[in-house]
Amino acid sequence: MQNAIGQDLNPVQQELMACYDNLARVLADHDDELAPFEKRNALKALAALWQVANGLDMDRGQTYHLGA
Amino acid sequence: MTTESPYWNPRHETMPRDELEALQVRKLSNLIEWSTSQVPYHSKRLNDAGVTSDSITSLDDLQRIPFMTREEWMQGQLDHPPYGPILAAPEESAIRYHLTSGTTGKTPIRVLDSMKDWEWITEMWCYGFWGFGVRPSDRVFFAFSYGTFVGFWGAHYACEKMGCLVLPGGNMTTEARVNQIMDMHATVVCSTPTYALRMAQEARAMGIDLANGPVERLILSGEPAGSIPATKKLIEEQWGAKAGDTAGMTELGTIMMFECDHQPGGAHIIEDHYIEEVIDPGSGEPVAYGEPGERVVTSFGRGFIPVIRYRTRDLVLKVPGSTCGCGRTFDIYDGGIRGRVDDMKLVRGTNVYPRAVEAIVREYEAIDEFQIHLYTAEGIRDEIELLVEVPDKNVDAEGLCAELAKTLAEAHEGLRFHVKQAPDESLPRFELKAKRVLDEREVVGGHGERKQA
Repeated sequence: MQNAIGQDLNPVQQELMACYDNLARVLADHDDELAPFEKRNALKALAALWQVANGLDMDRGQTYHLGA
Repeated sequence: MTTESPYWNPRHETMPRDELEALQVRKLSNLIEWSTSQVPYHSKRLNDAGVTSDSITSLDDLQRIPFMTREEWMQGQLDHPPYGPILAAPEESAIRYHLTSGTTGKTPIRVLDSMKDWEWITEMWCYGFWGFGVRPSDRVFFAFSYGTFVGFWGAHYACEKMGCLVLPGGNMTTEARVNQIMDMHATVVCSTPTYALRMAQEARAMGIDLANGPVERLILSGEPAGSIPATKKLIEEQWGAKAGDTAGMTELGTIMMFECDHQPGGAHIIEDHYIEEVIDPGSGEPVAYGEPGERVVTSFGRGFIPVIRYRTRDLVLKVPGSTCGCGRTFDIYDGGIRGRVDDMKLVRGTNVYPRAVEAIVREYEAIDEFQIHLYTAEGIRDEIELLVEVPDKNVDAEGLCAELAKTLAEAHEGLRFHVKQAPDESLPRFELKAKRVLDEREVVGGHGERKQA
Protein backbone atom coordinates (compact mmCIF):
# COMPACT_ATOMS: atom_id res chain seq x y z
CA MET A 1 0.00 0.00 0.00
CA GLN A 2 1.31 3.41 -1.00
CA ASN A 3 0.34 6.84 0.26
CA ALA A 4 -0.59 9.83 -1.87
CA ILE A 5 3.01 10.84 -2.42
CA GLY A 6 4.11 7.39 -3.54
CA GLN A 7 5.68 6.11 -0.34
CA ASP A 8 5.13 2.59 0.94
CA LEU A 9 3.35 2.11 4.23
CA ASN A 10 4.88 -0.46 6.55
CA PRO A 11 2.74 -3.42 7.73
CA VAL A 12 1.78 -1.77 11.02
CA GLN A 13 0.74 1.43 9.27
CA GLN A 14 -1.28 -0.66 6.82
CA GLU A 15 -3.10 -2.26 9.74
CA LEU A 16 -4.00 1.14 11.11
CA MET A 17 -5.33 2.16 7.72
CA ALA A 18 -7.40 -1.02 7.59
CA CYS A 19 -8.92 -0.05 10.95
CA TYR A 20 -9.84 3.37 9.59
CA ASP A 21 -11.28 2.02 6.36
CA ASN A 22 -13.31 -0.65 8.15
CA LEU A 23 -14.69 1.86 10.60
CA ALA A 24 -15.61 4.27 7.81
CA ARG A 25 -17.31 1.44 5.89
CA VAL A 26 -19.34 0.30 8.90
CA LEU A 27 -20.47 3.85 9.60
CA ALA A 28 -21.40 4.43 5.96
CA ASP A 29 -23.17 1.12 5.33
CA HIS A 30 -24.71 0.26 8.69
CA ASP A 31 -25.50 3.62 10.21
CA ASP A 32 -29.12 2.70 10.96
CA GLU A 33 -28.19 -0.57 12.65
CA LEU A 34 -25.93 0.96 15.25
CA ALA A 35 -27.02 1.65 18.80
CA PRO A 36 -26.19 5.16 20.06
CA PHE A 37 -23.20 3.92 22.04
CA GLU A 38 -21.89 2.04 19.00
CA LYS A 39 -22.34 4.90 16.59
CA ARG A 40 -21.02 7.76 18.71
CA ASN A 41 -17.97 5.89 19.93
CA ALA A 42 -17.24 4.67 16.42
CA LEU A 43 -17.45 8.26 15.14
CA LYS A 44 -15.07 9.45 17.85
CA ALA A 45 -12.64 6.70 16.96
CA LEU A 46 -12.96 7.56 13.28
CA ALA A 47 -12.16 11.22 14.00
CA ALA A 48 -8.99 10.13 15.83
CA LEU A 49 -7.94 7.59 13.19
CA TRP A 50 -8.47 10.18 10.47
CA GLN A 51 -5.51 12.02 12.02
CA VAL A 52 -3.42 8.89 11.54
CA ALA A 53 -4.47 8.59 7.91
CA ASN A 54 -3.76 12.28 7.37
CA GLY A 55 -0.36 12.01 9.03
CA LEU A 56 0.49 9.08 6.78
CA ASP A 57 -0.55 11.10 3.71
CA MET A 58 -3.43 8.84 2.85
CA ASP A 59 -6.13 10.89 1.18
CA ARG A 60 -9.37 9.84 2.76
CA GLY A 61 -11.32 13.03 2.09
CA GLN A 62 -13.67 14.52 4.67
CA THR A 63 -15.86 12.81 7.25
CA TYR A 64 -18.78 15.18 7.64
CA HIS A 65 -21.14 12.98 5.62
CA LEU A 66 -20.55 10.26 8.21
CA GLY A 67 -21.24 12.64 11.08
CA ALA A 68 -17.65 13.23 12.21
CA MET B 1 9.74 4.15 19.30
CA THR B 2 7.02 6.78 19.70
CA THR B 3 7.88 7.79 23.26
CA GLU B 4 11.56 8.08 22.29
CA SER B 5 11.00 10.34 19.29
CA PRO B 6 11.56 14.06 19.81
CA TYR B 7 9.02 14.63 17.05
CA TRP B 8 5.24 14.11 17.09
CA ASN B 9 5.27 13.14 13.40
CA PRO B 10 8.91 12.22 12.73
CA ARG B 11 8.56 11.73 8.98
CA HIS B 12 6.83 15.02 8.30
CA GLU B 13 8.86 17.11 10.70
CA THR B 14 12.15 16.04 9.15
CA MET B 15 10.97 15.77 5.55
CA PRO B 16 13.32 17.23 2.91
CA ARG B 17 12.04 20.58 1.73
CA ASP B 18 11.31 19.45 -1.82
CA GLU B 19 9.11 16.61 -0.53
CA LEU B 20 7.44 18.90 1.97
CA GLU B 21 6.60 21.38 -0.77
CA ALA B 22 5.24 18.56 -2.96
CA LEU B 23 3.03 17.54 -0.03
CA GLN B 24 1.81 21.13 0.35
CA VAL B 25 0.99 21.39 -3.34
CA ARG B 26 -1.05 18.19 -3.21
CA LYS B 27 -2.91 19.36 -0.10
CA LEU B 28 -3.50 22.78 -1.63
CA SER B 29 -5.02 21.18 -4.70
CA ASN B 30 -7.31 19.07 -2.49
CA LEU B 31 -8.29 22.14 -0.49
CA ILE B 32 -9.20 24.07 -3.65
CA GLU B 33 -11.29 21.16 -4.87
CA TRP B 34 -13.11 20.83 -1.53
CA SER B 35 -13.70 24.56 -1.15
CA THR B 36 -14.90 25.02 -4.72
CA SER B 37 -17.37 22.18 -4.46
CA GLN B 38 -18.72 23.04 -0.99
CA VAL B 39 -18.53 26.80 -0.45
CA PRO B 40 -20.15 29.09 -3.03
CA TYR B 41 -18.22 32.04 -1.58
CA HIS B 42 -14.90 30.34 -2.32
CA SER B 43 -16.15 28.89 -5.58
CA LYS B 44 -16.91 32.35 -6.96
CA ARG B 45 -13.65 33.89 -5.80
CA LEU B 46 -11.57 31.04 -7.17
CA ASN B 47 -13.49 30.79 -10.43
CA ASP B 48 -13.19 34.55 -10.98
CA ALA B 49 -9.43 34.19 -10.56
CA GLY B 50 -9.27 31.18 -12.87
CA VAL B 51 -8.09 28.88 -10.11
CA THR B 52 -9.05 25.22 -10.27
CA SER B 53 -7.66 22.27 -8.34
CA ASP B 54 -6.09 20.89 -11.54
CA SER B 55 -4.26 24.15 -12.15
CA ILE B 56 -2.33 23.93 -8.87
CA THR B 57 1.00 22.39 -9.80
CA SER B 58 3.49 24.33 -7.69
CA LEU B 59 3.59 26.73 -4.77
CA ASP B 60 4.00 29.55 -7.28
CA ASP B 61 0.32 28.99 -8.10
CA LEU B 62 -0.53 30.47 -4.71
CA GLN B 63 0.03 33.90 -6.19
CA ARG B 64 -3.00 33.42 -8.44
CA ILE B 65 -5.31 32.89 -5.47
CA PRO B 66 -6.99 36.02 -4.09
CA PHE B 67 -6.42 36.97 -0.46
CA MET B 68 -9.08 36.46 2.21
CA THR B 69 -9.39 39.27 4.73
CA ARG B 70 -10.91 39.58 8.14
CA GLU B 71 -13.04 42.46 6.92
CA GLU B 72 -14.62 40.21 4.27
CA TRP B 73 -15.20 37.52 6.85
CA MET B 74 -16.86 39.94 9.28
CA GLN B 75 -18.99 41.44 6.51
CA GLY B 76 -20.01 37.94 5.44
CA GLN B 77 -21.21 37.26 8.97
CA LEU B 78 -23.23 40.48 8.99
CA ASP B 79 -24.78 39.67 5.61
CA HIS B 80 -25.38 35.99 6.38
CA PRO B 81 -25.57 35.60 10.13
CA PRO B 82 -24.41 33.97 12.24
CA TYR B 83 -21.40 32.37 10.45
CA GLY B 84 -21.30 33.98 7.03
CA PRO B 85 -21.22 32.12 3.71
CA ILE B 86 -18.12 30.12 4.54
CA LEU B 87 -19.28 26.81 6.00
CA ALA B 88 -18.31 23.75 3.99
CA ALA B 89 -20.36 21.29 6.04
CA PRO B 90 -23.82 21.27 7.63
CA GLU B 91 -24.08 22.97 11.02
CA GLU B 92 -25.55 19.76 12.43
CA SER B 93 -22.17 18.04 12.18
CA ALA B 94 -20.49 20.63 14.42
CA ILE B 95 -19.60 19.85 18.00
CA ARG B 96 -17.78 23.07 18.98
CA TYR B 97 -18.48 26.79 18.74
CA HIS B 98 -15.87 29.46 19.45
CA LEU B 99 -15.35 33.18 19.04
CA THR B 100 -12.37 35.42 18.46
CA SER B 101 -11.22 37.27 21.56
CA GLY B 102 -12.18 40.63 20.16
CA THR B 103 -8.80 42.36 20.24
CA THR B 104 -9.23 43.51 16.65
CA GLY B 105 -12.34 44.42 14.73
CA LYS B 106 -15.78 45.15 16.07
CA THR B 107 -17.44 41.86 15.15
CA PRO B 108 -16.01 38.70 16.64
CA ILE B 109 -15.43 35.86 14.19
CA ARG B 110 -17.62 32.85 14.94
CA VAL B 111 -16.39 29.38 14.07
CA LEU B 112 -17.63 25.81 14.14
CA ASP B 113 -15.78 22.51 14.27
CA SER B 114 -16.77 18.92 13.73
CA MET B 115 -15.50 15.95 15.68
CA LYS B 116 -12.77 15.31 13.12
CA ASP B 117 -11.75 18.96 12.96
CA TRP B 118 -11.58 19.16 16.73
CA GLU B 119 -9.26 16.17 16.77
CA TRP B 120 -7.12 17.94 14.19
CA ILE B 121 -7.04 21.06 16.36
CA THR B 122 -5.69 19.01 19.25
CA GLU B 123 -3.24 17.35 16.89
CA MET B 124 -1.61 20.72 16.14
CA TRP B 125 -1.13 21.35 19.83
CA CYS B 126 0.44 17.90 20.14
CA TYR B 127 3.15 18.97 17.70
CA GLY B 128 3.91 21.89 19.99
CA PHE B 129 3.77 20.16 23.36
CA TRP B 130 5.71 17.13 22.20
CA GLY B 131 8.26 19.27 20.41
CA PHE B 132 8.88 21.27 23.57
CA GLY B 133 9.49 18.10 25.57
CA VAL B 134 6.12 17.48 27.24
CA ARG B 135 5.51 13.77 27.77
CA PRO B 136 2.73 11.49 29.10
CA SER B 137 4.25 11.56 32.60
CA ASP B 138 3.72 15.33 32.87
CA ARG B 139 1.10 17.09 34.96
CA VAL B 140 -0.16 20.06 32.98
CA PHE B 141 -1.91 23.00 34.61
CA PHE B 142 -4.03 25.33 32.47
CA ALA B 143 -4.32 28.88 33.77
CA PHE B 144 -7.17 29.53 31.40
CA SER B 145 -10.80 30.57 31.84
CA TYR B 146 -12.43 28.03 29.49
CA GLY B 147 -14.90 30.34 27.76
CA THR B 148 -15.89 30.96 24.17
CA PHE B 149 -12.37 32.16 23.26
CA VAL B 150 -10.64 29.06 21.90
CA GLY B 151 -7.34 29.84 23.70
CA PHE B 152 -5.98 26.73 25.37
CA TRP B 153 -9.08 24.57 24.79
CA GLY B 154 -7.34 22.53 22.09
CA ALA B 155 -4.22 22.29 24.21
CA HIS B 156 -6.24 20.79 27.06
CA TYR B 157 -7.53 18.01 24.82
CA ALA B 158 -4.09 17.56 23.26
CA CYS B 159 -2.66 16.81 26.68
CA GLU B 160 -5.41 14.28 27.33
CA LYS B 161 -4.56 12.65 24.00
CA MET B 162 -0.88 12.54 24.90
CA GLY B 163 -1.69 10.87 28.20
CA CYS B 164 -0.69 13.73 30.50
CA LEU B 165 -2.55 14.45 33.71
CA VAL B 166 -4.58 17.56 32.93
CA LEU B 167 -5.17 20.08 35.73
CA PRO B 168 -7.87 22.52 34.54
CA GLY B 169 -7.45 25.93 36.20
CA GLY B 170 -10.57 27.78 35.10
CA ASN B 171 -12.65 30.04 37.35
CA MET B 172 -9.92 30.45 39.97
CA THR B 173 -8.15 33.37 41.55
CA THR B 174 -4.46 33.77 40.83
CA GLU B 175 -3.70 32.75 44.40
CA ALA B 176 -5.76 29.56 44.02
CA ARG B 177 -3.99 28.76 40.77
CA VAL B 178 -0.57 29.13 42.35
CA ASN B 179 -1.66 26.90 45.20
CA GLN B 180 -2.97 24.26 42.77
CA ILE B 181 0.26 24.30 40.80
CA MET B 182 2.26 23.69 43.95
CA ASP B 183 -0.14 21.26 45.63
CA MET B 184 -0.56 19.09 42.53
CA HIS B 185 3.13 19.27 41.59
CA ALA B 186 2.37 20.55 38.12
CA THR B 187 5.36 20.08 35.84
CA VAL B 188 3.96 22.14 32.96
CA VAL B 189 1.97 25.39 33.13
CA CYS B 190 0.09 26.93 30.22
CA SER B 191 -0.74 30.63 30.21
CA THR B 192 -0.18 33.91 28.43
CA PRO B 193 3.26 35.47 29.04
CA THR B 194 1.64 38.31 30.94
CA TYR B 195 -0.22 35.94 33.21
CA ALA B 196 2.88 33.83 33.82
CA LEU B 197 4.48 36.97 35.25
CA ARG B 198 1.32 37.75 37.20
CA MET B 199 1.34 34.31 38.81
CA ALA B 200 5.01 34.77 39.68
CA GLN B 201 4.19 38.09 41.37
CA GLU B 202 1.42 36.42 43.33
CA ALA B 203 3.68 33.55 44.34
CA ARG B 204 6.24 36.03 45.68
CA ALA B 205 3.55 37.77 47.68
CA MET B 206 2.48 34.38 49.07
CA GLY B 207 6.05 33.57 50.05
CA ILE B 208 6.28 30.71 47.53
CA ASP B 209 9.59 30.03 45.83
CA LEU B 210 8.42 29.14 42.31
CA ALA B 211 11.95 28.88 40.96
CA ASN B 212 12.57 25.87 43.17
CA GLY B 213 9.11 24.43 42.60
CA PRO B 214 7.94 21.50 40.46
CA VAL B 215 7.32 23.37 37.18
CA GLU B 216 9.81 22.47 34.45
CA ARG B 217 8.13 23.99 31.41
CA LEU B 218 5.78 26.83 30.56
CA ILE B 219 3.82 26.78 27.33
CA LEU B 220 3.03 30.36 26.40
CA SER B 221 0.45 31.61 23.94
CA GLY B 222 -1.87 34.49 23.19
CA GLU B 223 0.62 37.37 23.02
CA PRO B 224 3.80 38.20 21.10
CA ALA B 225 5.71 38.50 24.38
CA GLY B 226 6.45 34.76 24.47
CA SER B 227 9.28 35.39 22.03
CA ILE B 228 10.54 38.72 23.37
CA PRO B 229 13.91 37.68 24.80
CA ALA B 230 13.78 39.91 27.89
CA THR B 231 10.24 38.83 28.77
CA LYS B 232 11.03 35.18 28.23
CA LYS B 233 14.19 35.46 30.32
CA LEU B 234 12.24 37.07 33.14
CA ILE B 235 9.58 34.35 33.04
CA GLU B 236 12.18 31.59 32.96
CA GLU B 237 14.07 33.10 35.90
CA GLN B 238 10.99 33.64 38.00
CA TRP B 239 9.65 30.14 37.38
CA GLY B 240 12.97 28.31 37.21
CA ALA B 241 11.60 26.64 34.08
CA LYS B 242 11.95 26.67 30.30
CA ALA B 243 9.37 28.78 28.49
CA GLY B 244 8.23 27.85 25.00
CA ASP B 245 6.28 30.13 22.70
CA THR B 246 3.32 29.08 20.57
CA ALA B 247 0.91 31.09 18.46
CA GLY B 248 -2.46 30.36 16.98
CA MET B 249 -5.67 32.05 15.99
CA THR B 250 -9.39 31.37 16.26
CA GLU B 251 -9.72 31.58 12.49
CA LEU B 252 -7.63 28.39 12.37
CA GLY B 253 -8.88 26.95 15.66
CA THR B 254 -5.43 26.11 16.90
CA ILE B 255 -1.73 26.88 16.74
CA MET B 256 0.26 27.11 13.54
CA MET B 257 3.71 27.42 15.12
CA PHE B 258 5.60 26.22 18.17
CA GLU B 259 8.98 26.62 19.76
CA CYS B 260 10.95 23.38 20.01
CA ASP B 261 13.06 22.44 23.01
CA HIS B 262 16.18 23.74 21.26
CA GLN B 263 14.68 27.21 21.74
CA PRO B 264 15.99 28.77 18.52
CA GLY B 265 14.63 32.23 19.34
CA GLY B 266 11.52 31.64 17.32
CA ALA B 267 8.87 29.09 16.48
CA HIS B 268 8.67 26.37 13.84
CA ILE B 269 5.75 26.60 11.41
CA ILE B 270 3.73 23.36 11.20
CA GLU B 271 4.25 23.19 7.48
CA ASP B 272 2.69 19.82 6.80
CA HIS B 273 -0.64 21.39 7.81
CA TYR B 274 -0.23 24.97 6.69
CA ILE B 275 1.30 27.14 4.02
CA GLU B 276 2.60 30.30 5.62
CA GLU B 277 3.55 33.15 3.27
CA VAL B 278 5.16 36.44 4.25
CA ILE B 279 4.20 39.42 2.14
CA ASP B 280 4.82 43.14 1.98
CA PRO B 281 1.67 44.50 3.63
CA GLY B 282 1.54 47.38 1.19
CA SER B 283 2.12 45.68 -2.15
CA GLY B 284 0.99 42.16 -1.27
CA GLU B 285 4.15 40.80 -2.90
CA PRO B 286 6.12 38.00 -1.21
CA VAL B 287 9.24 38.97 0.72
CA ALA B 288 12.41 36.91 1.05
CA TYR B 289 13.71 34.98 4.04
CA GLY B 290 14.97 37.38 6.68
CA GLU B 291 12.70 40.25 5.67
CA PRO B 292 9.82 41.35 7.87
CA GLY B 293 6.32 41.21 6.50
CA GLU B 294 2.73 40.17 7.06
CA ARG B 295 1.72 36.55 7.65
CA VAL B 296 -0.67 35.01 5.17
CA VAL B 297 -1.97 31.57 6.09
CA THR B 298 -3.56 28.69 4.22
CA SER B 299 -4.79 25.85 6.42
CA PHE B 300 -5.29 22.26 5.34
CA GLY B 301 -6.78 21.05 8.59
CA ARG B 302 -10.19 22.47 9.32
CA GLY B 303 -12.45 21.33 6.53
CA PHE B 304 -15.51 22.95 8.10
CA ILE B 305 -14.23 26.46 7.37
CA PRO B 306 -11.61 26.49 4.61
CA VAL B 307 -9.04 29.23 5.16
CA ILE B 308 -7.16 30.10 1.99
CA ARG B 309 -4.57 32.87 1.81
CA TYR B 310 -5.94 34.66 4.85
CA ARG B 311 -4.23 37.95 5.66
CA THR B 312 -3.55 37.85 9.38
CA ARG B 313 -2.03 41.35 9.93
CA ASP B 314 0.62 39.63 12.07
CA LEU B 315 4.17 40.88 11.61
CA VAL B 316 6.74 38.09 11.19
CA LEU B 317 10.21 37.35 9.86
CA LYS B 318 10.76 33.91 8.37
CA VAL B 319 14.09 32.06 8.42
CA PRO B 320 14.92 28.53 7.24
CA GLY B 321 14.36 25.63 9.62
CA SER B 322 18.02 24.72 9.23
CA THR B 323 18.89 27.64 11.51
CA CYS B 324 17.71 25.43 14.39
CA GLY B 325 19.62 22.36 15.48
CA CYS B 326 16.57 20.24 16.29
CA GLY B 327 16.50 18.47 12.93
CA ARG B 328 13.12 19.80 11.84
CA THR B 329 12.92 21.09 8.31
CA PHE B 330 9.96 23.33 9.18
CA ASP B 331 10.77 27.00 8.68
CA ILE B 332 10.90 29.32 11.66
CA TYR B 333 9.31 32.63 12.50
CA ASP B 334 12.29 34.26 14.12
CA GLY B 335 11.09 36.14 17.19
CA GLY B 336 7.64 34.55 16.87
CA ILE B 337 4.81 36.94 16.12
CA ARG B 338 6.52 40.33 16.24
CA GLY B 339 3.35 42.35 16.59
CA ARG B 340 0.57 43.52 14.35
CA VAL B 341 0.89 45.39 11.09
CA ASP B 342 -1.42 47.99 12.61
CA ASP B 343 0.25 47.98 16.06
CA MET B 344 2.71 50.67 15.17
CA LYS B 345 2.13 54.09 16.68
CA LEU B 346 3.44 57.18 14.99
CA VAL B 347 4.50 59.68 17.66
CA ARG B 348 5.88 62.99 16.44
CA GLY B 349 7.19 61.29 13.31
CA THR B 350 8.80 58.35 15.11
CA ASN B 351 7.56 54.79 14.80
CA VAL B 352 6.84 53.18 18.18
CA TYR B 353 6.14 49.45 18.39
CA PRO B 354 4.65 48.25 21.69
CA ARG B 355 6.69 45.04 21.43
CA ALA B 356 9.95 47.03 21.22
CA VAL B 357 8.96 49.06 24.26
CA GLU B 358 8.16 45.89 26.20
CA ALA B 359 11.51 44.40 25.22
CA ILE B 360 13.21 47.34 26.92
CA VAL B 361 10.90 47.56 29.93
CA ARG B 362 11.38 43.86 30.73
CA GLU B 363 15.11 44.46 31.16
CA TYR B 364 14.14 46.13 34.44
CA GLU B 365 13.16 43.32 36.77
CA ALA B 366 11.89 45.76 39.40
CA ILE B 367 8.98 46.73 37.13
CA ASP B 368 5.93 44.61 37.86
CA GLU B 369 3.50 46.07 35.35
CA PHE B 370 3.44 48.89 32.83
CA GLN B 371 1.20 50.82 30.47
CA ILE B 372 1.95 52.90 27.38
CA HIS B 373 -0.23 56.00 27.37
CA LEU B 374 -0.55 58.24 24.34
CA TYR B 375 -2.29 61.58 24.69
CA THR B 376 -2.60 64.98 23.07
CA ALA B 377 -0.91 67.87 24.85
CA GLU B 378 -2.20 71.42 24.46
CA GLY B 379 -4.60 70.21 21.80
CA ILE B 380 -1.92 69.78 19.17
CA ARG B 381 1.02 67.63 20.22
CA ASP B 382 1.40 63.87 20.55
CA GLU B 383 2.94 62.76 23.82
CA ILE B 384 3.87 59.33 25.05
CA GLU B 385 4.19 58.36 28.65
CA LEU B 386 5.08 55.10 30.25
CA LEU B 387 3.49 54.27 33.58
CA VAL B 388 5.38 51.69 35.60
CA GLU B 389 4.74 49.93 38.89
CA VAL B 390 7.83 49.48 41.06
CA PRO B 391 6.58 47.84 44.25
CA ASP B 392 9.95 47.14 45.88
CA LYS B 393 10.56 50.05 48.25
CA ASN B 394 14.28 49.32 48.25
CA VAL B 395 14.50 50.25 44.58
CA ASP B 396 15.26 53.84 43.56
CA ALA B 397 12.14 54.21 41.45
CA GLU B 398 12.91 57.79 40.46
CA GLY B 399 16.36 56.81 39.20
CA LEU B 400 14.91 53.80 37.41
CA CYS B 401 12.33 55.96 35.61
CA ALA B 402 15.00 58.41 34.52
CA GLU B 403 17.26 55.65 33.23
CA LEU B 404 14.39 53.93 31.44
CA ALA B 405 13.33 57.19 29.78
CA LYS B 406 16.88 57.66 28.51
CA THR B 407 17.07 54.09 27.17
CA LEU B 408 13.70 54.38 25.44
CA ALA B 409 14.66 57.69 23.84
CA GLU B 410 17.94 56.23 22.58
CA ALA B 411 16.03 53.38 20.97
CA HIS B 412 13.50 55.74 19.35
CA GLU B 413 15.49 58.42 17.56
CA GLY B 414 15.53 60.65 20.63
CA LEU B 415 11.76 60.60 21.13
CA ARG B 416 10.91 61.86 24.62
CA PHE B 417 9.11 59.30 26.80
CA HIS B 418 7.66 60.53 30.07
CA VAL B 419 8.27 57.63 32.44
CA LYS B 420 6.29 57.86 35.67
CA GLN B 421 5.82 55.59 38.62
CA ALA B 422 2.23 54.41 39.02
CA PRO B 423 0.81 53.39 42.41
CA ASP B 424 1.17 49.68 43.17
CA GLU B 425 -1.62 47.50 41.73
CA SER B 426 -3.14 50.50 39.92
CA LEU B 427 -2.50 49.29 36.36
CA PRO B 428 -4.72 46.67 34.73
CA ARG B 429 -3.76 42.98 35.01
CA PHE B 430 -4.55 40.52 32.26
CA GLU B 431 -5.27 36.82 32.08
CA LEU B 432 -5.70 36.64 28.33
CA LYS B 433 -4.34 39.04 25.76
CA ALA B 434 -2.76 42.05 27.44
CA LYS B 435 -3.79 45.50 26.27
CA ARG B 436 -1.05 47.78 27.50
CA VAL B 437 -1.45 50.59 25.00
CA LEU B 438 -3.92 53.33 25.87
CA ASP B 439 -4.18 55.72 22.92
CA GLU B 440 -6.19 58.77 23.92
CA ARG B 441 -4.82 61.13 21.31
CA GLU B 442 -7.15 63.58 19.65
CA VAL B 443 -4.61 64.05 16.90
CA VAL B 444 -2.85 61.02 15.53
CA GLY B 445 0.62 61.30 14.14
CA GLY B 446 1.20 64.95 14.87
CA HIS B 447 0.22 66.02 11.36
CA GLY B 448 -3.22 67.33 12.15
CA GLU B 449 -4.94 64.10 11.18
CA ARG B 450 -8.04 63.96 13.35
CA LYS B 451 -8.85 60.72 15.07
CA GLN B 452 -11.94 59.05 13.64
CA ALA B 453 -14.92 58.95 15.97
